[in-house]
Amino acid sequence: MTRCLDEATLQSYFDGELSGEIVERATLHLASCSTCAAAAREMEEEINLLMTALAPELEASVPTERLRERIDASVLDHRGGFASAHQQSGFGAFISSLLSFGTQRTLGYASLVMLLAFAGIFGFVKYHTATPPQQPESIAKTTAPVVNSPKQVDTAATPVPTEIKGTGVVAQAPNKKSNSVYKPARFTAARFTNRVNPAPTTAVEPVKLLPGERAYLKTIAKLDSTIEANRNLMRPSLQVEYERNLAVVDRAIAATRSAAKKNPNDPDTADFMFAAYQSKVDLLNTIADARLGGGRSH
Amino acid sequence: MPNDIGTEATSPLSFDEAFTLHHRAVFRTARAVVRDSALAEDVTQEVFLRLYRNLHATPGDDLLRAWLLRVTLNVARNTVRGQNRSMVRDNEYQKSSVENGFNVDAPEEDYERRQAIEEARRALDKIKEPMRSCLLLKQQGLSYREIANTLSLKETNIGSLVARGRKEFARVYGKIGGRR
Repeated sequence: MTRCLDEATLQSYFDGELSGEIVERATLHLASCSTCAAAAREMEEEINLLMTALAPELEASVPTERLRERIDASVLDHRGGFASAHQQSGFGAFISSLLSFGTQRTLGYASLVMLLAFAGIFGFVKYHTATPPQQPESIAKTTAPVVNSPKQVDTAATPVPTEIKGTGVVAQAPNKKSNSVYKPARFTAARFTNRVNPAPTTAVEPVKLLPGERAYLKTIAKLDSTIEANRNLMRPSLQVEYERNLAVVDRAIAATRSAAKKNPNDPDTADFMFAAYQSKVDLLNTIADARLGGGRSH
Repeated sequence: MPNDIGTEATSPLSFDEAFTLHHRAVFRTARAVVRDSALAEDVTQEVFLRLYRNLHATPGDDLLRAWLLRVTLNVARNTVRGQNRSMVRDNEYQKSSVENGFNVDAPEEDYERRQAIEEARRALDKIKEPMRSCLLLKQQGLSYREIANTLSLKETNIGSLVARGRKEFARVYGKIGGRR
């Protein structure tokens, strides 16, 4: 480098801001140019002076702990203020908060949708039903729950009293104005009993049980047979309630079982299925207790 | 104009990491501007609260310090307007800090050092902007690139500004009674 170093380049040289090649050339020049070498020495002294003068300022202690406390507090205040602003900003904010989907909220919405779907289907079914379903199955033909074909449409203009499966008891369905009778899919309540199947329309293939399912099915079969054997003692209102709740639980079992079959390695799906089975066991126990209580009272 | 802090995002730091790495530079820069430790704390708190609010929009690791110090300079300059800078209040702050158990130097132990700080501050006050800020940031260890980003200046001008500022400081500091 033959040209002398200007002030900015010399400053950059001391500040380490020059690239390697330029540093090399600047060093060579400083070794050969007495003017630039003198300027460099003077600059070095001034830099040292500056650093010495500002050192106490830079070395003064920093209250790290207090700053941390203050900043944490202000961040918490900010969060709280943000949350309250969210709460106070009216219906729009409420709607937008509903539409912000987190994982838990998504699961919650999914559960709500499932419940509404069950309730809707059940309501629709009850509205159009004149008779309870007549699709019992022999335990000899199936050992596991199967979802039956869901619909049968009759042409009866009014609801017709129907005999409950294998019991000889006539159950009066709710008297709804309807031109058709919709028979909902009944799921499994009578499926594991030895009821007589009056008119099996389709052959049901045996279904492979999922692990842990058999114990629930046995319990349900026992409870179901107990209830059905004494169904004539059941009050009509209780029968209606029983059928309604049973349909909901059976659909939950069908849905969760289907999910468990599709995802055999997912323990959550199996847990949901067992929870549904447990709900059915609880329901049957409740009905059995109520029926016995009603029987004793008669 | 290297005013592209927000566009050169690299790996973003977490808020805690940003505090741990940069709170000292923020506090010292703030204190150098406001000349008051309590106010510098206020400024530091405000700067990091702004960082928290804008964490998603702040630059990555390499330019975060420049972003923080730019905010620090702005907040500090706004704070210092109308404030009464005095060593008396800073002494009271030091006293209360010691009484409250925080790690701040006791005034009786560093009176001489504090006098030296005041002399350096007075000399810095005589230096015009942006040279003064260039010196200040250079002393905080910022690179020319970071200084340019912080002050919205051309990087190629920083060397010259630092040199002129340093020269001016040496002259004024000698007059004030410094070591030159």
